[in-house]
Amino acid sequence: MTWHVDEEDLRGYARGELAPPALWSADAHLVACERCRGVLAEFGDAGALQAGWERLDAELDAPRPGRFEGLLVRLGVADHTARLLAATPVLRRSWLGAVVAVLVTTFLVAFSAGAADSPTLFLAFAPLLPLAGVALAYGPGLDPTYEMAVVSPTHGFRLLMIRTVAVLVVGLGLNGLATLALPDYGLRALAWLLPALALTVSGLALAPRLGPVAAPSVVGAVWVAVLFAANAAQTSAGDPLAPFTAAGQGVSAVLAGAGAGLLFLFRDRFDVFPRGAA
Amino acid sequence: MTFTVSASGLSLHYGGTRALDDVSLRLTAGVTGLLGPNGAGKTTLLRVLATAVPPDRGAFTVLGHDPGSARGRQEVRRRLGYLPQTPGFHPDFTAFEFVDYVAILKELTDRGARHREVRRVLEEVGLGDVRGRRIRKLSGGMRQRVALAAALVGDPGFLVLDEPTVGLDPEQRMRFRELIARAGEGRTVLLSTHQTEDVAMLCHRVLVMASGAVRFDGTPAELTARAEGRVWSSTERDPGAKAGWRTGTGSFRNVGEPPAGAELLEPTLEDGYLLTLDGTGAEVAA
Repeated sequence: MTWHVDEEDLRGYARGELAPPALWSADAHLVACERCRGVLAEFGDAGALQAGWERLDAELDAPRPGRFEGLLVRLGVADHTARLLAATPVLRRSWLGAVVAVLVTTFLVAFSAGAADSPTLFLAFAPLLPLAGVALAYGPGLDPTYEMAVVSPTHGFRLLMIRTVAVLVVGLGLNGLATLALPDYGLRALAWLLPALALTVSGLALAPRLGPVAAPSVVGAVWVAVLFAANAAQTSAGDPLAPFTAAGQGVSAVLAGAGAGLLFLFRDRFDVFPRGAA
Repeated sequence: MTFTVSASGLSLHYGGTRALDDVSLRLTAGVTGLLGPNGAGKTTLLRVLATAVPPDRGAFTVLGHDPGSARGRQEVRRRLGYLPQTPGFHPDFTAFEFVDYVAILKELTDRGARHREVRRVLEEVGLGDVRGRRIRKLSGGMRQRVALAAALVGDPGFLVLDEPTVGLDPEQRMRFRELIARAGEGRTVLLSTHQTEDVAMLCHRVLVMASGAVRFDGTPAELTARAEGRVWSSTERDPGAKAGWRTGTGSFRNVGEPPAGAELLEPTLEDGYLLTLDGTGAEVAA
C-alpha cells in the first residue's frame, strides 16, 4: 500500500461527515487496507463504525454505471438524474442505430433523386426525428416501467422534461451533424430547427388529450400535409417551400412558444394515466 | 379504529363501460384480499387507489392525504408501494439497478442512503445474492420478487399488489405468500388475486368485486360461512347446483341449494366466493 487515508479524513469518516469524492476514495481504500481499518476502529464508536461498514457494503454492491450513464455523471449530471436518463428507451443503442439509419437513408434519397441542389427532402424529414424520439421517451406501452413511474412521487411532467431534453439533445445533435454535411446550403440547411421544436412541443402538448402515440402521429401527419400543400402552392421550382421561408420560420417559432405555454399549463395531466391507456 | 384508506362512492367509466360503480371501502393494517372474476374492476380499483387514474366521482384518502389535489397526490405517492399486474422492467438493468431506479423515482436522491435501502429490500425478498444479475436472466418468480422489492422501497404504509402470484409455480407462490405476510406486518396491504388460497392463508379481510361493485366485504370466515349448508356431495352432478365438479374421490362436489337429505360438506372460502358471485352477472366457475 503506497498511501493511507489522512487521519483527519478518517475521523470525518468515522463521524459520517466525510463528503464525496473523499468519501468514495476512503471507501475504496478501506476495503484493501488493514492498517487504515485499524486506525478507523480507534476513532469511531461501535455504532458509527457499523454504520460505516454498512455504507461501505452498499457502495461495493452498487452497480458500475454504464458508459452512457458514466458519461453523464462526468459531464456533471447528478447520479440520480443520470440513472433516470439511462432508463430512457429511446437512448438505447438499437434506437440510436435506427435513427442514424433513417438519417443516412434521407441523405441517400435526397442525393440519388438528383436533389443535391436543394436540401428540401432533408428539411422535411429532419423535424420528424426529434418528434418521434420524444414521443418514444415516455408513455404507457413505450416505457416498460411507466405504470410504476406514474404512481411515484416524481412528477410525471418533470420526468418527461428530463427525458425530452435528453432526447432533444441527441436528436438535434444528430440533425446538426447532418446539417454540417451540407455546407453548400449555408444557413438554409438549418431551417429544420424551428419546425422541429414546433412539432415536438405540439406533439407533447397534445399527448394528454390524444394519447402518447396518436398525438405525435397526428402532428407528423399534419406536417407532411403542410409540406404537400406548400409544394402544390410553389410557384417556382427553385424557391424554398413555405415552412422554410422567413415567414414559415416565424410561424414555427410562434407555434413552438404557444405549445410550450400550453404544455406548462396542462403539466398536471402527465401525472396520471392518459384516459385511453388506463 | 384508524383507517389507512377511506373511500366513498368511487365511480369510473371508460366510454360506455362501467369500470367502478359506487365503491366505498375502508382499509386497516394487515392484508386485505380483493377477489373477483376477470373484468370485475379489481385492477381499476387498485389503479384508482394507487393514484394512477382519478375517479369520475367519489373521493378517498390514503393515510390522511387526499389525492384530489396535486400536493395531496404526491403525499399519497410518498407513502405508496405499487406492484402492477404486469410489472415492466428495463431488461438490461441488474436487479440492483432496477430497484435503484425505482428508489430514485421515489425521491431517494442521496446515493449512500439509497443504495442501503436498495440492499435492504433486495435482502428482504431474498434476492441479495443475485442483485448483480441482469433482469433478463432472472426467472419469472425472481422478477416478480424484484418488482416487490421495488414496491417496498421507502417502507410504504400502503402496499398495493395486483395479482402478484399469477404464473408462479407452487413453490414460488408459497414463498411469495411468506413475503406478503411479512409485508403486511405493520402496514396496510391490498392484494388482488384470483387465488382463493392466497386469501384464505394471508388475509384478515376480503372484498369480492363483480361488475365494478363490491359484493362482499368481511372476513374470510364470513365469506366461507356464506356456503354453510350449501355444499353437498353426490354420485352424479346435481342439475340443481349452481356449480359442481368431480373430485379426486370420484364423487361430485355441488354448490348451491342442496336437495333434502343431501350429504352436506364442510364449505371452503372458494365455495363462499362462488355463491357470492352467483346472481351478480359474473360467470360462476364450475
